[in-house]
Amino acid sequence: MPATGEGNGKPGLTRREFVWTMGAAAAAYGLQDLPDENGIFWSPEPKVELGWAPGLEEFRTSTCLICPSRCGIRGRLVDGRLVRVVGNQLHPLSRGGVCPRGIAGLQMVYHPERISGPMVAEGARGGGNWRGVSRDEALTLLTERLRASRTVAGPESLALVAGYCAGSMQALWHQFLRSYGSPNYVADDYADGTDCVMGLMHGIRRRPAYDLEQASLVLSFGAPLFESWWSPLQAYVAFGGSDEDGGQRPRFIQVDARFSRTAARTQEWVGVKPGTHSVLALGIAYVLIRNDLHDADFLSRHVAGFEDAVDGAGATTEGYRSLVLRNYRTEEVSAVTGVPVERITALARAFGSSPAPVAVCGADVTQAPNGLQAGMAVHSLNLLLGRVNRPGGVIFGKDPPLAPLASPVLDDAARAGLTSQPVAGPGPAFGTGDVASRFARAVAAGDGRVENLLLYYADPLASSVHPEAWRAALARIPFVVSFSPYLDETTRHADLVLPDLVSFERWQDAPSPASYPYPVWGVAQPLVEPQVDGIATGDAVLAVASRLGGSVAQSLAYPSFEELLKERAKGLFEIRRGMLFASEFEGRHHRQMEERGWWLREHDEFEEFWEDLVDRGGWTDLFHDFTDPAGIAQTPDGLIDLMPEELTRALVANGLDRTPYIGLTGDDAVPPADFPLRLMPYRVSTLASGTLSLERWLAEVPGLFPETLWYPWVEVHPDTVRTLGLEEDTMVWISSSRGRMRARLKVFPGTAPGNVCVPYRLQHPDGELANPLQLLDGPTDPLTGLAPWFTTFVRLDQVGAVD
Amino acid sequence: MVIDLDRCTGCAACEVACKSENNLATVSPEQAEMGRAMSWMKVISEVEGEFPNSTLQFFPRPCMHCDNPPCVKVCPVSATYLGEDGIVGQIYARCIGCRYCANACPYTVKYFNWYGPEWSESELQHLNPDVSVRPKGVIEKCTFCHHRLQKAKEDARAEGRELREEDFQPACAEICPTRAIIFGDLDDPTHRVATLKDDPRSMRLMEELGTEPKVYYLRSRA
Amino acid sequence: MRPEVRDRLARMHPDERALLRPLVETTRTFYIFAAILGVVVLWGLFAYYQQMRYGLGRTGMNRPAYWGIYIISFVFFIGISHAGTLISAILRVCKAEWRRSITRSAELITVLVIGFGAIQPVFDLGRPDRLLNIFFHAHLTSPLLWDVLSIGLYFMSCTIYLYVPLLPDLALIRDSGIKAPWLYRILAGGYQDTPKQRAVLERVIGALSVAVIPIAISVHTIIGWIFAMTLRPMWHSTIFGPYFVMGAIYSGIAAILVAMVVLRRVYRLEQYFKDIHFDYLGQMLLLFSLLWLYFTFAEYLTAFYGAEPAVMRTFWAKVSGPFAVPFWAMVAGCFVIPFGLMARKATRTPGGTLVAGIAVVIGMWLERYNIVVPTSVNPRWELESIGHYLPSWVELSILAASFAGFILLYMVATKFVPIVSIWEIKEGREHSAQEVSRRVSEYLPDTPVLTTVGDSK
Ligand SMILES: Nc1nc2c(c(=O)[nH]1)N[C@H]1C(S)=C(S)[C@@H](COP(=O)(O)OP(=O)(O)OC[C@H]3O[C@@H](n4cnc5c(=O)[nH]c(N)nc54)[C@H](O)[C@@H]3O)O[C@H]1N2
Ligand SMILES: Nc1nc2c(c(=O)[nH]1)N[C@H]1C(S)=C(S)[C@@H](COP(=O)(O)OP(=O)(O)OC[C@H]3O[C@@H](n4cnc5c(=O)[nH]c(N)nc54)[C@H](O)[C@@H]3O)O[C@H]1N2
Ligand code: SF4
Ligand code: SF4
Ligand code: SF4
Ligand code: SF4
Ligand code: SF4
Ligand SMILES: [Mo]
Repeated sequence: MPATGEGNGKPGLTRREFVWTMGAAAAAYGLQDLPDENGIFWSPEPKVELGWAPGLEEFRTSTCLICPSRCGIRGRLVDGRLVRVVGNQLHPLSRGGVCPRGIAGLQMVYHPERISGPMVAEGARGGGNWRGVSRDEALTLLTERLRASRTVAGPESLALVAGYCAGSMQALWHQFLRSYGSPNYVADDYADGTDCVMGLMHGIRRRPAYDLEQASLVLSFGAPLFESWWSPLQAYVAFGGSDEDGGQRPRFIQVDARFSRTAARTQEWVGVKPGTHSVLALGIAYVLIRNDLHDADFLSRHVAGFEDAVDGAGATTEGYRSLVLRNYRTEEVSAVTGVPVERITALARAFGSSPAPVAVCGADVTQAPNGLQAGMAVHSLNLLLGRVNRPGGVIFGKDPPLAPLASPVLDDAARAGLTSQPVAGPGPAFGTGDVASRFARAVAAGDGRVENLLLYYADPLASSVHPEAWRAALARIPFVVSFSPYLDETTRHADLVLPDLVSFERWQDAPSPASYPYPVWGVAQPLVEPQVDGIATGDAVLAVASRLGGSVAQSLAYPSFEELLKERAKGLFEIRRGMLFASEFEGRHHRQMEERGWWLREHDEFEEFWEDLVDRGGWTDLFHDFTDPAGIAQTPDGLIDLMPEELTRALVANGLDRTPYIGLTGDDAVPPADFPLRLMPYRVSTLASGTLSLERWLAEVPGLFPETLWYPWVEVHPDTVRTLGLEEDTMVWISSSRGRMRARLKVFPGTAPGNVCVPYRLQHPDGELANPLQLLDGPTDPLTGLAPWFTTFVRLDQVGAVD
Repeated sequence: MVIDLDRCTGCAACEVACKSENNLATVSPEQAEMGRAMSWMKVISEVEGEFPNSTLQFFPRPCMHCDNPPCVKVCPVSATYLGEDGIVGQIYARCIGCRYCANACPYTVKYFNWYGPEWSESELQHLNPDVSVRPKGVIEKCTFCHHRLQKAKEDARAEGRELREEDFQPACAEICPTRAIIFGDLDDPTHRVATLKDDPRSMRLMEELGTEPKVYYLRSRA
Repeated sequence: MRPEVRDRLARMHPDERALLRPLVETTRTFYIFAAILGVVVLWGLFAYYQQMRYGLGRTGMNRPAYWGIYIISFVFFIGISHAGTLISAILRVCKAEWRRSITRSAELITVLVIGFGAIQPVFDLGRPDRLLNIFFHAHLTSPLLWDVLSIGLYFMSCTIYLYVPLLPDLALIRDSGIKAPWLYRILAGGYQDTPKQRAVLERVIGALSVAVIPIAISVHTIIGWIFAMTLRPMWHSTIFGPYFVMGAIYSGIAAILVAMVVLRRVYRLEQYFKDIHFDYLGQMLLLFSLLWLYFTFAEYLTAFYGAEPAVMRTFWAKVSGPFAVPFWAMVAGCFVIPFGLMARKATRTPGGTLVAGIAVVIGMWLERYNIVVPTSVNPRWELESIGHYLPSWVELSILAASFAGFILLYMVATKFVPIVSIWEIKEGREHSAQEVSRRVSEYLPDTPVLTTVGDSK
């Protein structure tokens, strides 16, 4: 109380309020010493000790690295803390949109379970005892180990398993392994078989891009465009259309064996029996050809194999047309796929008469026992309508024209090492197949002498289809190094952990996903100071290289990964096309200029260019040359091949005696008596591969329908639930011949009776793994070597009843 | 606010953006099981029909900011009120936690802090300092990102100009990848929402109750 | 009992002797019961401490089941409180002479139970520390505020209404010196029971009994309105005001009956609570069971005919869905059992009324449950998922403690005030027999003057 008396108290404070405040203060004072930090007082206010005052606000541009989409983001910083992720409106692909994972990426930075610094396993590996070491010690340890092995066991004793790796990080690892002398770059990445399809038919081994934004009709065969596709944001932006209402929006039709979120939200869903997407595609082809809806001109100029061919000896080989007309009559297709005859005809007519349709091939088409041919069948629809290298069609994207890394310097040891056989051994007839599993099996079988294994963005014990092979392989490898920022399943079995900085803390480049038609080079710059004592793996590799000295150091003479990126960006500065990220309007303008062969220089100095590039988020070139024949096919004869001879040879070589496009009768496997249900694993949009499974915001929204939180679940048709005598919302075991996992039962009428849909979800809240991929037991496609994800049969049992 | 159901893919970016922007506390799995998870914006789905004829509609559902809000009428202490700008706000420091408003709201958009929020040391780092953190025992709900309006107004005043449509966008509208959420002043004819609300596809939830929601939905074209 | 107390008692009027004995004589059973109830109360306090410290999360409530046991108990206890005041006031106003021995016990129930009712919403508050905001930031359109005001008024008037008729008895105790003279000196004030004071007293009581009736009616009407003023299915109904008042009186009568049977047995008051009292109150119970049926039927029939989808979801949830058991148990408790027993004179005995009373008390608790919970868990918007509500141990403990606390206080109160109004009994004996016959004769036509038949000519 001021000495001058009550009348002179603070103006706003009445006497009653004053007494009240004093009373409350006294009470608070009296109670504050109570032993419990929760406070005995009615309502302890939340403990927020950040000096809760508006601070200095700053926005910094970067790129989201959480999935292949690589969307543009901006980080909102207050007093140096990253408090929010918002979209970058200038990014050509994402246009300011961000998916839930991108927003929740914030929680990856401040994740309570991040590894706090480099550490070394003490005692038995996997025993859980760790000793913290300094970054320098860790780098030295790794360098010494690599140096010693290189001379004793040879450079091929080093192997890298790289899960999530594109752009310059991939280039850096390749350069490192090459100059060290190891051929064992083991990619554990996103092979889905579509690149094999394109390689076979177009002679271009590249995953196709789809120009969704300019398409008028998107017919997706099982590609979960709105969930876990290469770039859900690309699909979202196309689906949203332009802001002006009434503006053109493509129509989306989803062919899917599951009532997925994509199926639910596209304008039309065609529910098919599992594994029959390709049959439906050929059924549509039948109607197109029958009704002369196909583009005969395109077919005759650019496509081989459509008509029957007569060879020198006069023997005819049936072409695509005859095969389809003979084998895919609508009634038969209807019986196989379960789609009514009229629906097939209507679909084909809609597709054939739309001005700019495109057929998108999803991984569930290709990851099947006859996946390669199934993929070709779906893609053939694009060929029938000449939808290749056209606006709104299939396009072969180009990589951004970066300056290459300095060419590697190889010493004798390196040269010798590089000639040795890669441990993973030869792949399948087409594509690379599941290299990681081949590698693990080979190591487990004692092939090669892998002394040192580096794990970059890979957690095979949790995510691989063959964790047992990995367990055996790890037991045989003396020294395992993990770069993971989190103590994931495989990192627990490492000898040395050099935690990477998470994506919002480090420099990285981010080329756009293969599904996007235009080259985009996004840059991720640190949004916050590192929250732990980690080291960006790019910098770690450069540091180890420089310490190793010799050819390795000479090949990687960059002071930091940031500098490396900057060097590469010089390629963009000099190329005289493209532009830095800009508004939609400016982008259109730029495209029109380039169409006329003009290009405006924006920057004179590289430094300015670089600064501006980082500030706006990246570089892109929205011009695509639709007249370039190399954009259609790069086969020797320049024609797209509907009936590649290579395929026929491979079929015969594998004892498969199948003609292309024949034998796609769908998956008519009869479920074994003790495993009556078909397992359909899928990826929910909020939870990608393992990385994000622990984030709390996402744990509260993973399943929108059936609505469920936190726990892994399994979707079952109500009738199936009833016949099995199970109860909704209880825990069940899902068992296949290979193993079992626990999940909560959800009744969902959108699931076909007899199927069970199980999302990949790495963990239960208590940490127990729940990965349906580890139940898979079907036969692999011998042509692509890809594991079939949709041919496993399972059984459901109430948890408790069978323990 | 206008939400175009024809564009909404149910991706839930709005939901997570709101959690991040407004410091929504997450609850443990057990609490979530009990129905105590909080989500000011909630993407609700309606599934009809069985395989292969299922259809679905997503309804992203924030507070409707009713013009005739039943929740406001019943609050004994005016801790929830209809502001001049049309936003139905909450005064957390005054709320006595009776949950009468929650029962009165026909749209069930009010969330109660059954326990105090629990932030791990690391989570505290990403709290948004513009938004107060709610203590235990009070009701909270979507505020149309009111703090952003205040900030936008201040900025506009500082620059001596009128508030523009793009100055004030709530977190959910800003992030929506398909731009299904459109935000603006319904009474300002230059704003897009003012025309969209009269679109033939436009409707409001439970309009028959007379609550006069300020959130309009544009029906799916299907 | 000390000898001098025994002596004094022996010298008193037989009514006084019988009715004051419980004040000075306490059995072991009483202490045992009191101890058990005390433990339950302490346990409830511990439960509340848990809730206070950690938050309402300790209860079973959730979204959308925002309200649970506390609100049920609130409505229930305030309902019971209509026992006393309303019954006794109505009976007084109607000059029902048989009321004399039962008013006191009823009024005591009222005053003691209001407190337990009024505290329930406080248990329910997320921020009880901000309770006073109701006054600092009063928002007049909120039925909750009306409720606070009307309950406050009700509590005050009931206390006065209990206290004023107590004065002559308190003075009697003071003057007899059988118990804590200092206490009764304070309680009885300067009341000397002079004829003049007595006349004033009776006039005040008369006025109070008239005033208390509308207040009591308003209280439960407003409680009904708390629900009815929302748009929730099966709450938003105009019948709720009168329905709640009727239900309150019903449960009040049931509670008095139960209390009377117990008091009659433990304090051997057979002479005061006679079979005729049970018969009369039983008839009232019968009447109210029919009223209850009528109101309930009217409520459900209107809901059913409106057939609004949102309403029907709640309707079926109660009638044949997950709440069918509490619903039909309620029908049994509120109608089938009491009607069956009270319709026959043979079962309108103390034993019969006890059973019926207990059935009604349980039935009325269930009625409140059936009002609060099914609607809570069935949100109006059909896409919102249906909730579930299971009370936690904290809520159940506090519920048990509230019952225990009420019974305990009632027991203790019988040790301080005579449970039957002594002066009214005496007055009844001394004056009312004549008064009644005078009154009855006033009702009758005046005795006609005898005339002979032949005169009419
Ligand atoms: N957002 C996000 N996107 C990603 C990734 C990520 O982590 N996050 N990861 C990338 C990676 S690693 C990959 S490999 C790709 C793969 O991405 P996708 O090709 O999208 O693979 P899934 O998500 O598994 O989708 C498989 C689809 O097949 C359907 N399906 C399930 N069982 C069966 C069946 O028995 N028969 C048939 N016919 N269909 C079935 C499912 O409904 C599901 O829609 O996604 C990439 N894109
Ligand atoms: N449960 C489950 N299993 C799956 C899948 C799934 O979605 N769910 N998908 C399958 C498919 S298609 C694939 S391709 C594989 C992919 O599986 P993996 O190759 O194992 O890839 P992820 O699980 O995405 O990530 C592996 C690890 O990288 C670490 N990591 C995260 N951020 C960083 C970082 O910034 N830097 C570094 N250096 N490491 C980081 C994390 O600790 C994470 O555990 O999994 C397959 N198996
Ligand atoms: S789609 Fe992928 S890159 Fe884009 S915001 Fe989401 S997680 Fe990040
Ligand atoms: S962010 Fe947009 S598209 Fe995604 S759920 Fe919300 S409203 Fe729908
Ligand atoms: S939606 Fe509910 S909380 Fe929001 S203003 Fe309307 S009644 Fe109030
Ligand atoms: S819970 Fe808070 S805001 Fe809601 S009615 Fe009660 S005091 Fe008002
Ligand atoms: S307007 Fe703001 S507070 Fe409301 S749902 Fe959207 S983000 Fe959340
Ligand atoms: Mo993958």
